[in-house]
Amino acid sequence: MAKTVEDTKDRPDMGRRRFLTAATSVVGVAAIGTVAVAMVDSLEPTAAEAAAAATVVNLSPIEPGMQVTVPWQKKPVIIVNRTPAMLATLAEAESKKLLKDPNCDVPQQPPYCKNQYRARKPEWLVMVRICTHLCCIPHYRPKKASVTPWWLGGFHCPCHGSMYDLSGRVIKGSPAPHNMAVPEYTFSPNGKTVTVTKMYPLAHLC
Amino acid sequence: MSKFGDWLNERFPAREMMREHMTEYYAPKNFNILYYTGSLLLLMIVLQLVSGFLLMAHYVPTSKDAFNSVQGIMYDTKWGWLIRYMHVDGVSLIFILLYLHMGRGLLYGSYRKPRELLWIIGYVIYIMMMGEAFFGYILPFGNLSYWAGQVITSIIHAVPLIGPGLTTLARGGPGVGTATLERFLALHAVLWFMIIAALIVLHILALHQVGSNNPDGIEIKKLKGPDGHPLDGIPFHPYYTVKDLFGVGVWLTIFAAIILYAPTMHGVFLERTTFFRANPMVGLPDVTPPWYLAPYYAMLRAVPNKYYGIALMFLAIVLPFFLPWLDRNPVRSSRYRPVYRIMILVMGITFFTLAWVGEQPPLPKYFLIERLGAAIYIGFYFLLPIISSIEPTKKVPERVRS
Amino acid sequence: MRKTWTGGLVAALATLGLGCGQAATLATPSYTFNKPTVIAGAKLFADHCSACHAVSSLRYNRLAADLGMTKAEIKKDIMLPGGANYLQGMQPTMSQADAKKWFGLPPPNLSHIVRAEGARWVYTYLTSFYWDPKRPSGWNNHIFPNVAMPDILAPWGGTYTKNGKLLQAGRESPALYHKQVAEIVAFLRYASDPSVFERRAIGRYVLGTLILLTILAYLLKKDYWRDIHNKDEAEKAKAAKKAGSAKA
Repeated sequence: MAKTVEDTKDRPDMGRRRFLTAATSVVGVAAIGTVAVAMVDSLEPTAAEAAAAATVVNLSPIEPGMQVTVPWQKKPVIIVNRTPAMLATLAEAESKKLLKDPNCDVPQQPPYCKNQYRARKPEWLVMVRICTHLCCIPHYRPKKASVTPWWLGGFHCPCHGSMYDLSGRVIKGSPAPHNMAVPEYTFSPNGKTVTVTKMYPLAHLC
Repeated sequence: MSKFGDWLNERFPAREMMREHMTEYYAPKNFNILYYTGSLLLLMIVLQLVSGFLLMAHYVPTSKDAFNSVQGIMYDTKWGWLIRYMHVDGVSLIFILLYLHMGRGLLYGSYRKPRELLWIIGYVIYIMMMGEAFFGYILPFGNLSYWAGQVITSIIHAVPLIGPGLTTLARGGPGVGTATLERFLALHAVLWFMIIAALIVLHILALHQVGSNNPDGIEIKKLKGPDGHPLDGIPFHPYYTVKDLFGVGVWLTIFAAIILYAPTMHGVFLERTTFFRANPMVGLPDVTPPWYLAPYYAMLRAVPNKYYGIALMFLAIVLPFFLPWLDRNPVRSSRYRPVYRIMILVMGITFFTLAWVGEQPPLPKYFLIERLGAAIYIGFYFLLPIISSIEPTKKVPERVRS
Repeated sequence: MRKTWTGGLVAALATLGLGCGQAATLATPSYTFNKPTVIAGAKLFADHCSACHAVSSLRYNRLAADLGMTKAEIKKDIMLPGGANYLQGMQPTMSQADAKKWFGLPPPNLSHIVRAEGARWVYTYLTSFYWDPKRPSGWNNHIFPNVAMPDILAPWGGTYTKNGKLLQAGRESPALYHKQVAEIVAFLRYASDPSVFERRAIGRYVLGTLILLTILAYLLKKDYWRDIHNKDEAEKAKAAKKAGSAKA
C-alpha cells in the first residue's frame, strides 16, 4: 500500500507538465513574434524617406505647350502645360473611338482626376511618365502627324510602339494595357507650384 | 518516430546530435546561479546579430554621414531606438556576463586539467569580443568614437618595427576617416563576428568533450551508476533547458527594463560624448574607454612610460592564458581552498577598482590606486604557482553537495 | 524624474573648446517630465530659441505624433513662418551665415544637447547669464565664460551683474521664469531622446509579459526538477536504510 503512494509521488503529473509547457511556449512565441514584427517594421521606409518623397515643382517657367519631367521617388513625372488646341484633341480622340479606356474606368488616377483631362486643372497634366507595357519612358510627341498621319498629339513609346493621347490614355492597337498612371498631387493656393505627394495606391505602373 | 524524422536522420545526424549535446549530455546537478551565464551569453550573441543586421541596414560608413545615419536610426526609423539600444546595452550586458562567466571559471577551477583548452578558447573569445566592441564603438562616429579610434590605433603604433605600418593599415589613411569606418564595419560585421561565432562552436564542442565542471570542482564522471551515467549528473535536456529558460526570462526582463527606462545607464552604457559629432579639431577633455575595457586602460596609465605601459597592458591581457599551468594545487574549487578563495576575492575587487579608476580623469591623485591595482593584478599570476603549492586545503567530498 | 548626467562641468566646457571652467555647482531644473510640460517647453523654445537654433534631428511631424498635437497646432505654435517644412527637422529662421556674422560662430544645433551636456548643465547655463560691458554682446555667463550668445531671456528673467545684483527686473516673477526655463530644458531633453514617451507607454506591457513568461518558466522548471529531488530523496532513504541495517 505504502509503495503505491510513493510511486505516485515519484511519477510526474504529466497533465500539469504539459499545460505548463504549452503555456510557456504560447507566451514565449507571442513575445518573440511581437519583437519580430517590430524588427521587420524597422526596415520600412524611414521618416527621412517620407520627407524626401514629396517633390515640389515650380510651374511658372513651363510655357503653354511645353513640358518638364522631374524625378520623383526615383520615377520620372511629366508636367505638361496644355494649350486649348491640345485639350481639344482629347475630345477628338474620344469621338474617333481611338482609345482603349476613354472614360478612365481602370483606376490609374486618383478619383479627382477621373475626367477627360485626367487632371485637377485641365491645362496641367501631372503624370508618371512610364509606359504601362514594359516600363519604358515614352516620347512626348505633341505635334499632329508627328508619329503617324492620323496622330493627334500624345506620347509614343520607343520600345514597343505604345501610343497615348495627350492625357496619357492608351490608344487602341498599342501593346500597353492601361492608361499611364497619375500620382496624387496638390497645387499651392496661389497655383504657382505643384506638389507631387504620393503614388495613387490603386494605380500600377507597368 | 515520424517518417519525416527517419528521412531526415538518414541524411543528417539530427537525433544523434540531440542525444550527444542535449538528452544524453550529463551535467552536474549542483549548478548554481553563475551557471546561467553560458546560455545567456549565447542568447545575447544571437540578439547582437539580429539587432546588428538591422542597424547595418540603415548605417552609412562615411565620415560625413555615419553620425547622421545613426541619429537617423534614433529619430526617423520605426523602432530604431529599440534596435540601437538593444545593440548598445547588449554590449555592456555581454561583458557583465563574460566577467561572471570567467569569474566562475576562476572560483571553481574550471580552467584546470582537462579543461585547459576550453579555458583558452574561451579566453580568446573574450579578447576577440574586446576587439569586436572596439570596432563597433568607432562606427557611430561621435567625438568619443573618433578619439577612441585615434588612441587605440596609436597603441598599435608602439608595436616594434611593424607598428607604424600597422597603424596606417588599421586606419586606411593618415587619420581616422571614411576608410577606417568602412574597414571597421567589414571587420565588425563579417570577419571578426564570424571568427567569434566559430570559436563559440569550438568552445561548446570542447566543453561537451570534457564535460562541465561544477561548484565543488569534483569530476562527476568518476562515479557512475549501474546505467553507466554519472551518479551526480542529470541530462542537460530537459532539466537544464527548462532551468536556463527561467534564467532567460529573468535576464530578458532586466534587459528590457534597461532598454525601456535607462537606456544609457546614466552615461555608463552609452557615454555622453558619443552625442557630439566626430571633430578632429576638438579633443575630448579626457578619453576614457567603456567600463569593460577600463581595467586595462588604468594599467596602461599606471606606468609613466608609453612602451612599458603598453607592455604592461599586454601582459595583463596575456597572463590568464597560463592560468591552467600556474595553478599547482590538486584541488580545483575555491570552496575547499580558503587561501585561493581570498586571492580570487582580492583579484575581483582589484579588477573592478581598476575599471572604476580607468573611467576617472587622468589625474595624479589616482596614480597610487592604478599602480596598486596593476601590482595586485600582475602579482596574482606570479604568486599563484607558489601559494597554490603550499596552501592548506579542506577535504573534498566524494559527491557534489546539492 | 530620471537622474541626468552628472558629468563634470570642466569636461563639458572643455569639450566645447571654450576654455576652462570654474568650479560651480549645477542647479537642478524642477519639472514633471510629461507631455504637457514638453509641449509648453516646445512653444517657449519656438518663441525664444528657434530663431537661431536648429533641432535638426527632430521632425515637426514626429513632434506632433509624440506629443499628441495636430498639424494645425504645430503650424500655429511651433513652426516659424517662412520656409519650414512639416516633414523636415526643426530649422532656425536665421541663416547660418548671418548668425556667424553676428555672433562670430553659428549657434549650435540643439538636437542632442541634453544627452551631451545633461539637463542640469543646460538649465544652469540658461540661468547663469550676467551683464558684462566688456563683452561685445554685453553678456557673459558664470558657467560658460565669454559665451557668444546674449541672454535673450533677460527681458523676462531680469538682468543681473556678475555678483548677482539686480540691474533691471524682468517682466516675470522669478518663480514663473524658472519654471519656464525648466520647461524649455524638458523640451530639449525630449528632443535628445524622442523615444522616451513611446518607451514609457509600452514599458509596463513589455515587462508584464516577460515577468509572466518568467513565472511560467519557473513553474515549469520546478515541475521538471521535482524528478531530481525525488531521486535524491529516494537515494538518501536507501542509504539511511542501508546504514540502519548495517548497524543492526
